[in-house]
Amino acid sequence: MRKIAEILIILLLGFFLIAEGDLLKPLPPAELKNYFVEKGVKQTGAINLVSSIYLTYRAFDTLGETIVLLLAVSGVIMLFEARK
Amino acid sequence: MRESEIVDMISRKLSPYILLFALYLISYGHLSPGGGFQGGVVLASGVILLCLARGEGFVKRKLPPKALSLVETGMFFIFILMGLAGLLIGGYFLENFFLPGKIEKVPTESFIFFLNLVIGLKVGAGITLICFYILKQEET
Repeated sequence: MRKIAEILIILLLGFFLIAEGDLLKPLPPAELKNYFVEKGVKQTGAINLVSSIYLTYRAFDTLGETIVLLLAVSGVIMLFEARK
Repeated sequence: MRESEIVDMISRKLSPYILLFALYLISYGHLSPGGGFQGGVVLASGVILLCLARGEGFVKRKLPPKALSLVETGMFFIFILMGLAGLLIGGYFLENFFLPGKIEKVPTESFIFFLNLVIGLKVGAGITLICFYILKQEET
């Protein structure tokens, strides 16, 4: 019974995705991607484009990621210290 | 399990090389695949290997949890300080302040290198700290 329900939900989601046209739409414009590929190495000086993007263009996002890790560590410490 | 000669020997011989590889991943993050997060996790895994093989009391004598939490929060503080320095010198928060026009004779990618170093130490300390607490809970 549960498997049939799961299959039905997946089919329904797929139907909505196709009906709304998300899968049929053309890809978003590639201007930003081309900008990073062309000018990223010259502007940041790093050959590895991934790190040049996540530490210079998107460094604020990386700050958020480190906050997430800090919160995770403090949550674990809080849970395990409180049990004593 | 704890007394096994092979596990003891292999873990003690292997973990320095894992730590060295983690430093390589962190410090060459701007040139090759790798970076702060990946290198930090490898850094933690080297310590966790020793923890699993020799018990976490052995590791805690060298790496007390207080020092690890100090590294974790201090590195986060340095991250924010670098952002504020970018705000002062470059005009935007977390701006790359080694740009060619701003400070001369320092390569531009050193900003990425320093941030990788900070993030690597922070992630390594944080994940080691999590594993300390989880391993300690299992033993009691």
